[in-house]
This record gives sequence, C-alpha cells and structure tokens, in this order.
Amino acid sequence: MIEFQHVSKSYAHGVAALTDINLTVAKGELVFLAGPSGAGKSTLLKLIAAIERPSSGKVTLNGQDVGKLKRAALPYLRRNLGLIFQQQRLLQDRTVLANVMLPLIVTGASKAEAQQRALAALDKVGLLERAKAEPQALSGGEQQRAAIARAIVNRPQLILADEPTANLDRDSANQVLEALKAFHSAGVTCLISTHDEQFLDSATRVIYLRQGQLIETWRKEAA
Amino acid sequence: MKIWLREHRFALAEAVRKLIKTPGSFAFNVLVVAIALALPIAGLTLLENIRPVTQQLAVEPEISVFLALDTPADQARALASGIRSALPLASKKSRIEFIPREQALENLKEKTGLADALTTLGQNPLPDAYIIRLANIDVAAVDALAERLQALPGVETVQVDSAWVKRLAAMLQVMRLALLLLAATLGVVVMAVIFNTVRLQVLTQREEIAVSRLIGATDAFIHRPFYYTGALLGICAGTVALAAVTLALQPLNGAIAEFARLYASEFRLTALDPLIMLMLLAISATLGLLGAAFSVRRHLARLP
Repeated sequence: MIEFQHVSKSYAHGVAALTDINLTVAKGELVFLAGPSGAGKSTLLKLIAAIERPSSGKVTLNGQDVGKLKRAALPYLRRNLGLIFQQQRLLQDRTVLANVMLPLIVTGASKAEAQQRALAALDKVGLLERAKAEPQALSGGEQQRAAIARAIVNRPQLILADEPTANLDRDSANQVLEALKAFHSAGVTCLISTHDEQFLDSATRVIYLRQGQLIETWRKEAA
Repeated sequence: MKIWLREHRFALAEAVRKLIKTPGSFAFNVLVVAIALALPIAGLTLLENIRPVTQQLAVEPEISVFLALDTPADQARALASGIRSALPLASKKSRIEFIPREQALENLKEKTGLADALTTLGQNPLPDAYIIRLANIDVAAVDALAERLQALPGVETVQVDSAWVKRLAAMLQVMRLALLLLAATLGVVVMAVIFNTVRLQVLTQREEIAVSRLIGATDAFIHRPFYYTGALLGICAGTVALAAVTLALQPLNGAIAEFARLYASEFRLTALDPLIMLMLLAISATLGLLGAAFSVRRHLARLP
C-alpha cells in the first residue's frame, strides 16, 4: 500500500529530516512510528499525505507516486486519507458536529447525508452527546476523539496520526488509542507516530527513527 | 449540477456567516465602498436628468436673419436665393423660412397677449426675417456663414440661435467622459478596499484554510466563499450608495424647484431608472468579485 524507496527530505535551511528511507506498509497494517522528537516521524507522515515533497526518492501510495502529484490532484488523494494531528486543529468557530461534517461537505455531500454520517462517526468515538458543543468546551482527549471522528468520517483507506496522544493524560490517551485500534480492526491501515514507549507494547509493528534515519523495525508475530 | 449548486449554496452561507460574525467591520467596509460608489452614481443621476432636457431642444443650429425695416417687400422675398447661395455645399438642404413682418407681429400678439399694447404703437416695429434651420453643418462653420449673411444687402442683424445647444451637448459629452474616468478610478478604489478586506479574511482564516486543504477541499471550494464575500460587499455597498443618492434628491429638488421656477420650468431631479439601478448593482457586485478574486489568488497561493 505504502512504499518509500530511498526517500530523503531536506528543508530549505539544509536540515536533513529524513535520509534514505526504504519502507513498505501493507494494506490493513497497524504501524507505530517511534523515536525521539526531531527524528523525522512527522515528516514521514507528511510525505505520504503530500504535505511535503521528497527531496529525492519515491513515495508511492497504492502504486501512485504522491511526490509527483499535481496540486490540483492533492484534494482527491487526501479524501482517501484520515489525518490526525498532535494539535487537533478543530475549527473553533463551529460546533463539533460541523467540524466532523466538513470532510463530507468538501466532497459535495448533502447536508443531511453529512450530518447523518458525522453523527455516526461521533458515536463511534463516544462523543455523540457532545455533537452540538463548541470545540473549546471539550477536554483535550475529547477534542482528539472529535479529530479522529473527522478523520474517519470519509471512510478512509489509511489513517495517518501524528502524535495523537501527546499532551493528553493517560486515560484520554488510552481512549484515543483504543479508538484508533478499533478502526484498524475494521480493516483500516493505520500509521501512528508516538514518542510514548508504553503504547508500543500493543503494537504489531514498530518502526524506529532517529535523526532522520530508519534504525530498526520489528513485527510482533500474530498469536 | 446538483453538487455544484450545493457547493455554491454552502459557500454563500459561509460568506454570510462570516460577515455577520463581524458586523462592525462589515458595516465599515460597506460604508467605505458605498462612499466610493456614491460619487459616480450621483454624477450619472445628474447626467441622466439633464439628457432629456437637451434632447427636447433642437440641436440643429438655427440662424435668424433680420432685415432692415425699410427693405421693400419684394426685395425681402428675393433675398431667399441670396441666402441659399451663401450656404455651404453640404448644407444646401437647410430649411429657409421667410417670416414677413406682418406675420411676425401677429405671432407676437398671439404668443404674448400684448395685442393691446402693440396696437398703441401705431406702426409695426418688427422687420421681415428669415429663419434658417441648418442641416449638416459644423458649429465652427456657423459663425462664418453668419458673417456671409450679414454682408447680404438689406440685412440688418444676424442672430445665431442654437449654437449654445451644440455647445451644451459637447459639454455634456465631456462631462460623460469625465464621469467615466471618475467611475473607473473609483472602481479601482472599490476593488482595492475589497482586495484588502478579503486579504484580512484570508489571514484570519489561515488555520481554517489549512485544515480544509488537509481534508481534501479543492482550491475552488476554498476560494468560493471569499468570492461571495466580495460580491456581497459590492451589492450591499451599491444598495447603500443608490439609496443615499436617491434620498439626497429630496432636499436637492427643494432648492432646484426654486431656481427652475425663475425660468418657468418644472425641472426636477428624478431617481435613476430601476433597470439602471439593477445594472449598477451588478457592476458593484462584479467589482467586489474581481477585488476578491485578485486578493484570493494572490494571498492563498502564499499559504502552505
């Protein structure tokens, strides 16, 4: 599903974020990206969503070279991705429900359909009763779950979550992680970056990055 | 088509929602744009009111040739051929009307109601006259013709009657051109104001734009609410400007009525035709749309 072939990424000021990454993620996998801050985890996720372009090498998603996609094609790529960020990036001037409806509205879905599907997504993350609330009225964990609902409302093939549990207390972090695992169980491929080692116990595959280099990858064999 | 309409409805709703959220700044922007629009609209209202007045008046230059009082009647009538030969070649089709002094006196009695007073004069004080309605003639050539007519035997006075109308028409043409230039200049001002308003909106909605891009919104989807913002600003400002100009006609007409009465005229300034008003609203909406489009293209391209 995802393939990195000798991918390097340097930013304008010359800092190498990733160096010669070779990596394959199969459909339906749950992969954790681990490593300290600045290791290149976020950059790796951004390359898959074409938020950044590789300086060299090739990133393919379902056989499509995302690094070479034209600007006009990017929205259609991203409609098949569920993006979750460390800062939830919910729009503060509209309700939680309106936030979750937005990915459907941009695809031209009717308001009634968008509302129905958004409520279903909020139900899946346990936030149905907070649908009409403003994002700032939610706790950090609830906001992150609302962001997950927004990411999955379009029924994406792939979820890319960048430090989704950072800044959350233990209980909230567990709830967020459980929600992501539930989507993985439903067949969605998930790539989750974290620097919180304790979540890696439940992982089936972990990729370690340090200073932009892939230093280790391991899989837990299915029981 | 259904999706396209739905997207436009959403964009319009978003634009309205955001304008309503900042009523103070919206009202201020409308006011600034309305002031810029009111000047050319007021000018157009004035021109549209003057135009029918000038159209009612004959714009063909007219020359009155008054003969000496002692000119014999047959010599006076014979002068017609001399007048015709004095006309430039292009104006040979001009109408030449002879008005004998007796007819002139009758006309005067009829039109002025001074019959009794004129009878007391004992003799007819009016001369024989020719009225020449000139066809195909330049305003500049009229003066030369007047000089030629003045030189004819028996001619006492030559009076060019209608040149002022031509001059007024020429002046109106200059005013129209000046108004067009003023409208163009203020159109640029309107676009600049809306350009800046939309620029500020783009900056304040940076996060929303970034999130929209990440969830798969196309550029068209992101741009559309800003286009509607510009068009709505234009329409609202145009409406305010039209209303202000129309309301201003009331006190103006009070003063004009006094002035017009001195000239036995019923002249009043009237509001623009509703069709012209609609056209002006469409123009102000287009100006808003263009200002927003320039701004969006320039500033959104710079956002990540």
